[in-house]
Amino acid sequence: MLAKLNSPVMYLICGVIVLFVAAVCIVFAVRAYRAGKAIGMDVSKMKRTIVASATFAVIPSVGILLGVIALSGSLGTPWPWLRLSVIGALHYETQVAEAAAEASGAGGLSAANMTPETFTTIALLMSVCIMWGMVLMTVDGKSYIRRLTTPKKPKDGSKKKGPDLSGFGDTAMTAMFIGLVSAYIGSYIGQIVSGEGLFTFRGSALPMAVACVGAAAMGVFLWIRRKYNAEWVDSFSLAGSMLIAMCAAIFLGRI
Amino acid sequence: MKESKSYEQYLNTTHRLGRAATVITLAMLLAAPFVMGAYLGGMPNFGAFLKGFLAIGLVYLISCIVEYFIYVPMLGAGGSYLAFITGNLINMKIPCAINARDMVDAKSGTPENEIISTLSIATSSLVTILVLVLGVVLMIPLQPVLQSPALAPAFENVVPALFGAMAMKYYRGERKIAAITLAAMALLFILVPSLSGAVSFMIIPSGAIAIGLALLRHLRGQKEGKR
Repeated sequence: MLAKLNSPVMYLICGVIVLFVAAVCIVFAVRAYRAGKAIGMDVSKMKRTIVASATFAVIPSVGILLGVIALSGSLGTPWPWLRLSVIGALHYETQVAEAAAEASGAGGLSAANMTPETFTTIALLMSVCIMWGMVLMTVDGKSYIRRLTTPKKPKDGSKKKGPDLSGFGDTAMTAMFIGLVSAYIGSYIGQIVSGEGLFTFRGSALPMAVACVGAAAMGVFLWIRRKYNAEWVDSFSLAGSMLIAMCAAIFLGRI
Repeated sequence: MKESKSYEQYLNTTHRLGRAATVITLAMLLAAPFVMGAYLGGMPNFGAFLKGFLAIGLVYLISCIVEYFIYVPMLGAGGSYLAFITGNLINMKIPCAINARDMVDAKSGTPENEIISTLSIATSSLVTILVLVLGVVLMIPLQPVLQSPALAPAFENVVPALFGAMAMKYYRGERKIAAITLAAMALLFILVPSLSGAVSFMIIPSGAIAIGLALLRHLRGQKEGKR
């Protein structure tokens, strides 16, 4: 199955989409540059932006490549390559792929359980789950940006009713991810304690051990970031922690 | 006056192009699994798809809506279309655009910010595409190594590795919310072991607990602030 997932046909299907997105980026960049010149912007500022952004992007891009490598063992290379070049994000992709594999009855994200039906179901679910930003931009983008640039005046006598949720968006997003992570970490704890029968403590501890190594590695990255004010660490911390924990799994699996 | 009209025209065309590019990309992304299915000999299973979507799609639907309302004001029109098409917002596009904006001292909502964001996100996306192409080309000779049985435990534990790292990142800032949510979920999985086969479904109650706790704290903070 993995050989088929890595075949030239799969590269061709994904390559066409990646090429289209690259063309869109070039068109947008050229138009923005010309528009900047037309409105009298300093050309050197635009050139500096291009150089700084290109330099900045190299390090996180290598981190994203590690994500492609991490997923290639179960989904082949072309699909993760497409997903992480277009629309996807490192932390979304693995999680959605895992949920899709579970829902497809494959038991989990693994090359051994992958069938054509499971793979295409995972691929479709990965596309649908993360497309809403694009959908919203298409449907509402123009009017939302207009609303932002021309704010409405409050009507006379109108008073806000109900709780004020301004500033809650960021917290809600963090809380949602805490919930998401807790569901999985909770399941690893449950697996150890009751995986082989209620309170027998005979279940596999490997997922929890790997998660602990991932957390420890992230802790070290965060410490380096804070101690040395090394912002570049942010670009590598997630992919680097995953890679360290995955390497640890090889050794922990033998114990 | 002339400059303002030309910028207005630029924005209108950006929206038209952005919408067209987004719709075409979406259509290709949704068609790809079916085209691949025709080649591989297995189409998506809609029952499993629905089950998976209900389990995790709703969480990401909310997440995408929140991202949309938070990031569009930062990125402007061109930058937003590109950022949502190319993804990797939190770990790359947003810091890259903010870095460029700070560097040239562009103010939010100005034409300068619009141009700088678009240039920054387009450039960073192209660099990512290039790095991934190079990486994938170099990865082909590595395939036999990546598929070796010795490395199997590593690839089978991608998800625990990811969530361990994410736990450290998100838990440290919200310790109380994290501790209560994790304790509730661990207890549930210990008492009902069969739930371990449907972890993705459990994200909904787990997310509800965490958001509920955060909301309570937010409202309490506002009440105290008013006093």
